Amino acid sequence: MAAKGEKHSPLEQFEIIPFTRTEIGGYDISFTNSSLSMIITVAVITLFLTLTVNPRSLVPTRMQLISELMYNFVAQLLSDTVGDNGKKYFPFVFSLFMFVLIGNMVGMVPYQFTFTSHIIVTFALASVVFIGVTILGFVNHGIKFFTFFYIPGVPFYMHPLLIPIEVISYLSRPISLSVRLFANMLAGHTLLKVFAGFVVAMPFFTGALPLVFIVALTGLEILIAFLQAYVFAILTCLYINDAYHLH
Amino acid sequence: MVDEEKLQKLKERIQTAKATNTPYQKTKKDNGAGFGFKISTEIIAALVVGVGIGLIVDKYLGTKPFGLIIFFIFGALAGFLNVYRVMRRIEKQ
Repeated sequence: MAAKGEKHSPLEQFEIIPFTRTEIGGYDISFTNSSLSMIITVAVITLFLTLTVNPRSLVPTRMQLISELMYNFVAQLLSDTVGDNGKKYFPFVFSLFMFVLIGNMVGMVPYQFTFTSHIIVTFALASVVFIGVTILGFVNHGIKFFTFFYIPGVPFYMHPLLIPIEVISYLSRPISLSVRLFANMLAGHTLLKVFAGFVVAMPFFTGALPLVFIVALTGLEILIAFLQAYVFAILTCLYINDAYHLH
Repeated sequence: MVDEEKLQKLKERIQTAKATNTPYQKTKKDNGAGFGFKISTEIIAALVVGVGIGLIVDKYLGTKPFGLIIFFIFGALAGFLNVYRVMRRIEKQ
């Protein structure tokens, strides 16, 4: 597609375009299309949630119902996985879930940048979860948190082998969490653009076929956008649960 | 109360809707690609961590290439452990 030096690569959509050039202490903190996308996401979440629940009617309107469903969904998720301890983490998990979900959805709007398709964004989110959960584990269990890596009921000579495996398994959490979200969004959006290229490239009216396929794929992408936000939230809940109950 | 009236109205509407509509049937469609993807990220993540630790150990202890070899194997094992845990979680549901 990149023939004649034109920029029509399916990966072009992931390009970071800085709007301003700001640098503080050697760090590039330019305001980019990614930042703009995040601000739009936060604005959409804030406006939607505050405006829809504003009437506070007993019989909710459709929009209020959507907000309440989202609230219930995360609250249910937390109480199912963590139990009563989970209530105080609701604001965190809910913010995370909404940020990823609406970020993915905003990315589905044509011409809109998808910030979750950049691994640094998802890795930063996953790192917050990982570091937070580790601190939580130490706060709850103190030094005994290290017994998390110790599997009871195993012959003692197996521990030199099992403990490194457990530690690596623990350290791989933020990576698998971030890679899953990032790769799903990247792959989905690239696929959409590749098929969009076929629409133009195919002769006569056969271009209608990939167009039909794009419509179906867009539906699938919206499903994946929701699913990945759900997976992100449920894994956060599971990690919080692990910080409470070792093994 | 206005809400009282509204509730009554809603109740009627729900009942008429229930009477006319057939219940929504949840079709269970397993997403094979998504499942495979989930499993592969678990293995890759553990391998990345294992190789990373191996390279760091080699760099600071000068044990090239044994740190990489050993931690690569640990990483692979941790990957399988992750997959096992994911499978157990899925089976529980």
